[in-house]
Amino acid sequence: MNVALALFLKDLTTELRSRDRIIAMFVFSFLVVVVFQFSWPEMEKGEMVRFAPGVLWVTYLFAAVIGLGRTFALELENDAMTALALAPGTRGWIFLGKAAATWILISVIQGVTAVVFALFFRVDLLPAASGLALIVIIANVGICSVGTLLSAMSVRSRFRDVLLPVLLIPTLIPVLTAAVHGTTGALASGAVPFTALQPLIVISGIYLILCFLLFDFVLDE
Amino acid sequence: MDATIATETTPAGGTGGIERTLKVLGWIMLALIPVYGWMVATAPIDSVQGVMQKILYVHPPLAYGAYLGFVATAVAGGLFLWRGEEHHDQLAIAGAEVGTVFCTLMLITGPIWARGAWGPGNWWVWDARLTLTLLLWFVYLAYLLLRSFTEGDERAARFASVYGILGVVLIPLNYWIIDLVGGGMHPNNIEFEGEDKSLGDGMGLPFLLGNLTLFFAFAYLLVLRWRVGVLRAAGERLAYDQENL
Repeated sequence: MNVALALFLKDLTTELRSRDRIIAMFVFSFLVVVVFQFSWPEMEKGEMVRFAPGVLWVTYLFAAVIGLGRTFALELENDAMTALALAPGTRGWIFLGKAAATWILISVIQGVTAVVFALFFRVDLLPAASGLALIVIIANVGICSVGTLLSAMSVRSRFRDVLLPVLLIPTLIPVLTAAVHGTTGALASGAVPFTALQPLIVISGIYLILCFLLFDFVLDE
Repeated sequence: MDATIATETTPAGGTGGIERTLKVLGWIMLALIPVYGWMVATAPIDSVQGVMQKILYVHPPLAYGAYLGFVATAVAGGLFLWRGEEHHDQLAIAGAEVGTVFCTLMLITGPIWARGAWGPGNWWVWDARLTLTLLLWFVYLAYLLLRSFTEGDERAARFASVYGILGVVLIPLNYWIIDLVGGGMHPNNIEFEGEDKSLGDGMGLPFLLGNLTLFFAFAYLLVLRWRVGVLRAAGERLAYDQENL
């Protein structure tokens, strides 16, 4: 447990000092949002609402992949991965500390991206803000769980930048589907439909437990 | 750990059982194939879909093979993580590779049938099962990529086992979410009515035999691929030993 807390604080402190990941993720998210502008036909102001959930979540997913790819990049230096593997206690706590730090980073970026998106595309996200926040908070548990596990694996391989998205995106389709469904509902009525909330909670919960247990096999001395 | 593997997988030891199983499966498959071919050829032509309907004698059995392969990968991966024995990992590779082949063939035969049954341009529908299978196919391609990109045999085996387990957990999750969110978006899936209910007279037996034959073909290929893996590992170990003597 102490290991988790120590890693969580360490990751946030290094991020606060260097701001590498957060800046990279923000610039990337902004770019993706802008790129979408060039991909669709001219639309009336109201029409955009139909596309908003999908565009938002695709942007979130890609930005998360960028951020998750760096989760263990720093630990490669000075062979810190070995030190992590030798840390006392269940290795799942290492996973939890890492995942929690990434969860904070990704959630902050997603909030900022939503504001940028709302401003640029004149979509009023405010009535759905609390619903969207709820979805983001739960969905990110799933995204960060699988992402942290797979990131620890892909960082040890050749072509790690290609491998992580290829491994990660197929496993996140259920989270993405439920999140888009929930966001659509939140934009339409202000409330998140139960048919989206239930799978989000269940899937994120399963991923969290499974990755906590499987992480033990992913680190090596 | 290496020492225990060496005694287990030498050609004289552990592969004996595999060898025998392979022979039995091979003969059963050889016996079934002509009967299956003849039955499919003489099965009645569907009055609505014509000859195209005969893809049904191949397509669903391929699906079972694909899913069996992926379950085999997850189970063998779990055993490997638990016991650390290399031959479990070889079985996991076999499951993933044979499963991917079956899955690919299924994804090819499906659209051919759809184009024939639903008319030009209808190669694909984002139906729950189609989507699920496509996602599964991606997961196992990723599994194979992970294996080939990870450095170190033992590490690759460990990582792949973890991903194999994750992949099989994904099957029910995907099915659930696609059904929940996408339900009602698509027209009735004629294919699966065909499988369950609307099999006409004389179509049941060839269908059953198709399942049986392709099951044995799957099992044969799985064990064959397993044996190749085990023998290759034993050969590499032998070469290593000779170099270092």
